[in-house]
Amino acid sequence: MAGQAILQHKPGEWCLPHYSIHYRLLNVYLRHLIGLPFCLLTLVASAQRRPLPADHSRAIDLAVHQPAIYFPEAPRPGEWRKSLGAVFTTTPPALTEEIRLSVPAVDFNLQRGLTKRFFVVSRLQTQFIQSNLSLGVRWATPLTDRLFLSVGDDVHGWMGVLKLKDVFNSQAYGVQNMPNLTLGYRLTRELQLSVKGEAITDLYYRSQVGTLAIENRNRGFNGVAFTAVLEQPFYGNRHVSLGLRAAYSNFNWQFWSLFDTFDRDLFYPQLIFNFIL
Amino acid sequence: MKTLCYLSILLLSLTGCQKEYEAPVPHTFANRPGAGQFTPSVRKAIEGVYAVTTGSSQFGEQVAVKWTYVVNGPDTTHYLSVFTGTDVGYFNFEVVKADTMALAGYWRKLVNTETGRARLSIKTTRSGQVRPYRGQLAEGDTLMLDGAFSEKTAEPSQPLRLTYRRPLNTESFAILAHRSGGRTSDLLPTSENSLDMIKLASRLGATGIEIDVRYTKDGVPILYHDNTLNLRLIRKNGLKGPIEDYTYQQLTTLVRLINGEQIPTLEDALETVISNTNLTFVWLDTKYIGPMDKVQVLQQKFRQRAAQLGRKLQIVIGLPTQDAVDSYKALADKSNTPILCELDTAITRSLSAKIWAPRWTLGPQTNEVQAMKAEGRTVFVWTLDEPKFIDEFINQGQFNGILSNYSPTVAYYHYTKQL
Repeated sequence: MAGQAILQHKPGEWCLPHYSIHYRLLNVYLRHLIGLPFCLLTLVASAQRRPLPADHSRAIDLAVHQPAIYFPEAPRPGEWRKSLGAVFTTTPPALTEEIRLSVPAVDFNLQRGLTKRFFVVSRLQTQFIQSNLSLGVRWATPLTDRLFLSVGDDVHGWMGVLKLKDVFNSQAYGVQNMPNLTLGYRLTRELQLSVKGEAITDLYYRSQVGTLAIENRNRGFNGVAFTAVLEQPFYGNRHVSLGLRAAYSNFNWQFWSLFDTFDRDLFYPQLIFNFIL
Repeated sequence: MKTLCYLSILLLSLTGCQKEYEAPVPHTFANRPGAGQFTPSVRKAIEGVYAVTTGSSQFGEQVAVKWTYVVNGPDTTHYLSVFTGTDVGYFNFEVVKADTMALAGYWRKLVNTETGRARLSIKTTRSGQVRPYRGQLAEGDTLMLDGAFSEKTAEPSQPLRLTYRRPLNTESFAILAHRSGGRTSDLLPTSENSLDMIKLASRLGATGIEIDVRYTKDGVPILYHDNTLNLRLIRKNGLKGPIEDYTYQQLTTLVRLINGEQIPTLEDALETVISNTNLTFVWLDTKYIGPMDKVQVLQQKFRQRAAQLGRKLQIVIGLPTQDAVDSYKALADKSNTPILCELDTAITRSLSAKIWAPRWTLGPQTNEVQAMKAEGRTVFVWTLDEPKFIDEFINQGQFNGILSNYSPTVAYYHYTKQL
């Protein structure tokens, strides 16, 4: 009987409580920021030490800007920074079940300094049939000679078009907003670690299959993302960004065509590799 | 070295926490046979579209209320299902006592893990006066389902009141439940492609089911979706690899589905459909590559059984790929073997398939659908779960049915549709 299986679950077997959206946000922050402070406190304590002598191998010269994209230091006013690489996103099991895909996307970053502290950032991630373009502003400041901080806000517009005989005649686009905070630490003169936290909020979503379309104008919290990136020299004068982004969100633009209906935060790990140009 | 340590801790911190979701059913069903005071005429009177006069913030403005049943030998157990238009929500109620018109059960929202207990009693209202329902409605009376609901396992205390609006939409429409009723990933109380899920399907709104057919190593047709044994579908047992590498005996002895059930044979599944449910459609999805004859034999056997019992039951073999089409073409005798073609209209016509089932992601395909229907074919879409699109497809009124993991939502939009 159907009820026999139902009986297997007895009242009181609750493993997880019901989550309101705010509680979920708090929970995710608590889970993941518990680990981060251990690192960051150590970094801050280390950063607050007396600066090393200028001739020391690990001494930092504030006047020297190391090439970086993620490190929270503004480019000089009028200066451009750019990088080109790839982002690999792994599909969550809840969506693709037994199939596990790591989907690569071309990743291009372009930034320009406005003032000593302010700069604009833009990023294009594309798989040609679907793309995401973001524009944002950052305010960055050094906290010590090694520790840097930036706060910013990025607006992401994404769209995808899939036309495949007997499979897809679908398209979708949407807008998301991602306020963010980045802490950067200069581990050595040339090695920089950045840790970034983002809140992901939905602004707009529209999808269409054939001639039928639906849209969602509800603005709401979608999830959070945490990124850790190392930036360092890579063969000669070339520098690279190598990082991992962990997004816990209800929706990920790269998987719009799966038409996920779960109202659950799923884990989307991303590997980031960029050459700083 | 220190840097590497920092980075490792950081990465572990970022990736180490994968939340496990669970949604256990908070009501223990007694599954008593019969319907007590809910006689056939009372059950018929109760079915309908109701306004949610209290509780709409949780369950939406209106719901569809429908009775279903499960047969066990000489006994029939009746259940009341309520389909909401919010977050793929539904209620399942059972009769509490034979001598009262009281119902107890639970509610669930399939898109998340929200659930809770609920109870209802049947009342009537006239000019603001509320009275217990005695089995008959006088002129001016309006039926009311009055009760309470709770979150999780708490005693129901939040008021819930449903007020009758109109009868259910009676248009013919197939509400087909994917994987015999729903996905394991939707945290249903029974596993996908299990016998228990087949029995649960109609309580989730389904009028038919789709089941995934594969062969064991020794050629027994069974129900299983994935290519391999994996922890998404089965309990941990150390076995892995293609299910076709194992004999039926091995699977029966060593493997349990995620909620503890055995992997059923196709024969057991069809027997369950006929003996325990009132489902009217079974879609045998071809997940295997190779001869189709054993599936055909079972299809014919149970079609004959259904006909002998006077059951209006269609059992069709789904052809999702060219390999499946080739297997079908290789059958020595194709008579008495209804098929459903998921490929394009030309192949569907060339196979003389009576049912065409394109993907929903191709859109409404108005011209093609109308042409196929004009040729006497039935047209379904699969596998459509997005509630807003379900609403759009149903309101367009072109298709004869929808295959979905969310049959409560298809049921809601179908039954509440106003012609």
